[in-house]
Amino acid sequence: MSADASDLSLVRRVQRGDKGAFDALVLKYQHKLVKLVMRYVRNPAEAEDIAQEAFIKAYRALPQFRGDSAFYTWLYRIAINTAKNAVVSRDRSPIEYDLDRSNEESYDMQGRMKDSETPEGLVLTEEIRSTVNAAIDALPEDLRTAIVLRELEGLSYEEIAAAMACPVGTVRSRIFRAREAIDRRLREVFEGGLGRAEELG
Amino acid sequence: MPSSERLVALTLAWAVAGAALAQETPPARAPVHKTSLDQAPAQKTSPESAPAHWLERMNQALTTRNYDGTFSHWHGGRVEMLRIIHRVQDGTVSERLASLDGSGREFIRAGASLTCYLPDKRTVLVEQRPPEESLVGFPAVNDQSVSFYDIREVTRTRLNRRDTHVITVSPKDEYRYGYRLWIDDSTAMPLKTQLCDRRGHVIEQIVFASLTLPAHIPDSAFKPEVSTAGFRWLRNESAPPAPTAATLAWNAMRLPPGFRMTARSAQTLPGSADPVDHLVFTDGLASVSVFVEPQRREHADQPAVPESAAVGSSSAFSTVIDGHKITAVGEVPPDTVRFIASQLKAEELPAVSSRRH
Amino acid sequence: MNEELDSQLSAMFDDELAPEQCELLARRLSRDEQLKARWGRYAVIGAAIRSERGVRLNAPLAGRVSAVLLAEPALVTTPGARPTAVRWWQPLAGAAVAAGVAVGCVLWLRAQNPLAGAPLSAHLTAATVSVPSAPVVPAAAESYVVPRTPAVRAMVPSTELANYVVAHSVYSSPVARRNLLSAFMTSESGTAAEEPPDEPAVHAQ
Repeated sequence: MSADASDLSLVRRVQRGDKGAFDALVLKYQHKLVKLVMRYVRNPAEAEDIAQEAFIKAYRALPQFRGDSAFYTWLYRIAINTAKNAVVSRDRSPIEYDLDRSNEESYDMQGRMKDSETPEGLVLTEEIRSTVNAAIDALPEDLRTAIVLRELEGLSYEEIAAAMACPVGTVRSRIFRAREAIDRRLREVFEGGLGRAEELG
Repeated sequence: MPSSERLVALTLAWAVAGAALAQETPPARAPVHKTSLDQAPAQKTSPESAPAHWLERMNQALTTRNYDGTFSHWHGGRVEMLRIIHRVQDGTVSERLASLDGSGREFIRAGASLTCYLPDKRTVLVEQRPPEESLVGFPAVNDQSVSFYDIREVTRTRLNRRDTHVITVSPKDEYRYGYRLWIDDSTAMPLKTQLCDRRGHVIEQIVFASLTLPAHIPDSAFKPEVSTAGFRWLRNESAPPAPTAATLAWNAMRLPPGFRMTARSAQTLPGSADPVDHLVFTDGLASVSVFVEPQRREHADQPAVPESAAVGSSSAFSTVIDGHKITAVGEVPPDTVRFIASQLKAEELPAVSSRRH
Repeated sequence: MNEELDSQLSAMFDDELAPEQCELLARRLSRDEQLKARWGRYAVIGAAIRSERGVRLNAPLAGRVSAVLLAEPALVTTPGARPTAVRWWQPLAGAAVAAGVAVGCVLWLRAQNPLAGAPLSAHLTAATVSVPSAPVVPAAAESYVVPRTPAVRAMVPSTELANYVVAHSVYSSPVARRNLLSAFMTSESGTAAEEPPDEPAVHAQ
């Protein structure tokens, strides 16, 4: 597969005036970007603001993007700069967003965030996460393996095909069916609210 | 309780509370229109649904109903959980607010006394309010408030499976904060509250994780959990200080638009022997108290350094004017308390009758 | 139901779809809100599996970006072309694009003024009350003008502050009182005043 064809097809549409295509890029990369920004600011809400700003800067700079690098790489650099600038301008005025936490390790045994650090929004995040995990547990093993290798290990279809000793087409089908099963469960639990990414919290 | 269990308990508690809430009031399946883009700003005509009316109902619920809940308080990048229990019985209000993690502090109101347990400072403050002072019904949201705030119902939405009205209260200037409130349709309790600055950035947020409205709450629910052995107790005098022949009255020369004085009293604060003048200024939604006391003798020769403090989103500011320490506290931005405090001035009262005989 | 076609979205999400099929699907994706929502859920599923600390799975971020973009000029990359006429303010009622993409964004934005990119900008009506310039602190002998930006680190003894806070709480509105007392129950009393940032974190230029 030609690398980055997916993002490029969306980017080219945006460059020709299709803003809706940009939504798809945001939806795809928002979590990654927030996670990245959180290396610079610990406050999740601030990280979201910065990620949002980065997306908007990327949109405005898109006419200058020529595909020399992967879109995400380019977006990533914008996000880092935005985060750094935000930290610098914030630090000019002594506002304390992040109070000292002596214990950096704030995951409990199952790797979920301890609730004492869980702003209200993350309680719902926790619900989503547990719904997804439960749905994955309920999957047939071949579907589960495929989706986990893809999302957790980041393997390409070809790599997964090699790992699971099956054709690439089968990998694609398994991942698709896994997503559909999980998605069905999500929609059941969240009354269709999540499907429209409606904020429930 | 280990945190993962507590998280599960919280989410379960919500489910239970949802059921409890549903039992409290008949399930009203009002049509919940999900936010849609064709909504016009909701300017409903019937007075019952006017946004200001929802605020009134909310204030009523908070002050008159029994409730027991846990909520998260978010401010400045930190979140903590608290528990609140509130009961109105035979006209007496009992309340307990306790930090569930971190400080372990508690605030308990029982009738006329307000007690603040500060285990981290090994101190207990007890303040007696005069019995005849009915716990101040806050001024109703009125026409005056409307001139300084823009109050709207933005939408209806579901919050944790409850049908809520989202009311925004946007300040028209920099002197006050705004609110976004998610008010439960059945009970009018604010399930989620955001305090915002003028640009709409959220400064503070309170969200209920669990909430029940029981018909009865036992007295034992209002006992503190903290052990006070070895603590220092600070109380105020229960009787208000004898009125002296005052020759000076303090007032603010200028106030931010919309603020006016609504109360003035003299009281002694816990741990202090000297009476303090307590002035209250409000714009109908936000209020600021100004305390005036003679500057302590030991500080008299030190240069007056104005000091600021914050208690969450609320602000405090103190300075010295004419040998008196002026402290302003209120749920307003820091500049507002600073402004009001620095406008305080003592006015000579006209000659009092005690001089005549 | 043709799985070959249906699974295209999933394959494109993983960047495993042939370029020419990407072009076609990208066009559909940009216009079809259901498809876009599914795409968005795929992203949530991935993030949920990776369990990233602090990252919200229900953040209305995408919707906010989308709403901000409503006021942005559409991009034109043909060299020399003039940008299409800019409508700086589009009534939300007329905007189809943001539908389905975090519809919750409507909660935050009621109308946009061209300078407000801030995600949570409350709707500000035209100021009929004139906003005074920075409050004047009388330069009396006993005090000095406190600089506008933050904040002298508080030296108010915390017990004293507690007294004031408790005494004041009686006069607060019920909601404000709850904020005040909750903050007091949790905060380190006597911390430096925290002011809202001078610039919003996100702003449109």
